[in-house]
Amino acid sequence: MPLARSFDILWEYHRILLDGLAMTFELTLISIVIALITGVTCALGSLARWRVVRWISVVVTEFCRNTPILVLIIWVHYALPEITGIKTSAVVSSIIALVMQSTGYLSEEYRAGIESIDKGQYEASKSLGMTYARLMRRIVLPQAIVRMIPGIINQLVVLFKSTSVVSIIAVPDLMYHANVIVNDTYLAMQTYTVVALTYFLIIFGISVLVRIASRRIRFIGPSHAILQAA
Amino acid sequence: MSESGASMIEIRGVRKSFGALEVLKSIDLHVPAGKTIAVIGESGSGKSTLVRCINNLEPIDGGSIRVGPTTILPDRVEEAGKPLSAREVARFRTRIGMVFQNFNLFPHLTVLGNIIEAPVGVLRWPKADAIERADALLRRVGLQDKAAAYPATLSGGQQQRVAIVRALIMEPAIMLFDEPTSALDPKLTDEVLTVIRDLAIRDRTSVIVTHEMGFARNVATDVVVMADGHIAEHGPPDQIFGSPRSSAAQQLLQYAS
Repeated sequence: MPLARSFDILWEYHRILLDGLAMTFELTLISIVIALITGVTCALGSLARWRVVRWISVVVTEFCRNTPILVLIIWVHYALPEITGIKTSAVVSSIIALVMQSTGYLSEEYRAGIESIDKGQYEASKSLGMTYARLMRRIVLPQAIVRMIPGIINQLVVLFKSTSVVSIIAVPDLMYHANVIVNDTYLAMQTYTVVALTYFLIIFGISVLVRIASRRIRFIGPSHAILQAA
Repeated sequence: MSESGASMIEIRGVRKSFGALEVLKSIDLHVPAGKTIAVIGESGSGKSTLVRCINNLEPIDGGSIRVGPTTILPDRVEEAGKPLSAREVARFRTRIGMVFQNFNLFPHLTVLGNIIEAPVGVLRWPKADAIERADALLRRVGLQDKAAAYPATLSGGQQQRVAIVRALIMEPAIMLFDEPTSALDPKLTDEVLTVIRDLAIRDRTSVIVTHEMGFARNVATDVVVMADGHIAEHGPPDQIFGSPRSSAAQQLLQYAS
């Protein structure tokens, strides 16, 4: 079969591929939004005064960071329901696993960001009568998050890549649909090339953003300038 | 020691260590209401630690500090015999203004944002009132046109004046200064000292840790000389600077012009 003809056939499936891509984006965005919240929770936990809270946060963070995403997804989908008694759909299982992985990484990013804030900021906040919760929310985190922007985007890239393994539990993402199409048409080279290029172009785009963001932070310097520009 | 007037701050037998290093070795000091105490001494003599204990930024290891109706003890802060919660300790600090060596302005907030953050967020003032008060104070320190500026665009002297306004807007009964001009060159030092003398310590009780001997002599009602975690000498400025008795004071003043 001529190459042009094979791409014509593939074109007939483009809606399905787009559906898959939409699912990939959905998984990425939902997971990163949840992970930004669970990440800060874990980071604050790992900085907490109570040893028990600190230990739980560290164990959760390390488990999530040091378990391969494929294993995490299978574990959440097939093992976790036997422990909790709650069965989750493939999409929900995937999001849980992706959130776990990102929580681990983002928690470390948050912790580093929070620890990079000068001790004087805490002292000034306290001397003005702020409670710990208020000084974190109003003074420390807003400064830490600006410094974390490159790290967050980086994690977004990792997350986007990680979503490609959710097809293992039959979540209809881009990679899953690619497999289906190949089974239908035997156009493995064409299909997987298109899918690989799609992943590449999106991730490359995000990476360029990371580089621009990092450069801005390095050149403009203090966080206020970025907030001003934003 | 000054016996006249009720003490606003009563420091009794306060001890403080950092690891094996004992920074404060049983300090006793009474600060009468409305007075200005200058604390001088070599670096590492414990003077900065002492002022930071007064608003409980540094917890103490022994002794007690009474500030108005509030008493700081090694394991708790209490009022009328009842221990205060973390929130109440935070509230206690609103009655004590503090100015730091490195200004410690919030870099992500404008000058106005820095100043009204605590009045609005902590004291729950209506925002319009806080802005009005902030504008008035900024005018007093000659920075009325800087309300919208970010701290990084200001000189050190301007930043420290903003930091003073940020503390003063809370209307604290007590002001603490931890080497407020040590990070500034002589010209900027003068503009900050003027603001402290004419605005910040007026009608207040204040404790100023400083290396500015001229300022201590002319502005303080009492001078405390610290050396090696002790109070080496304590008296009116004329006595300390005119005829110092302790060797610590004599040595310190030998280098002061």
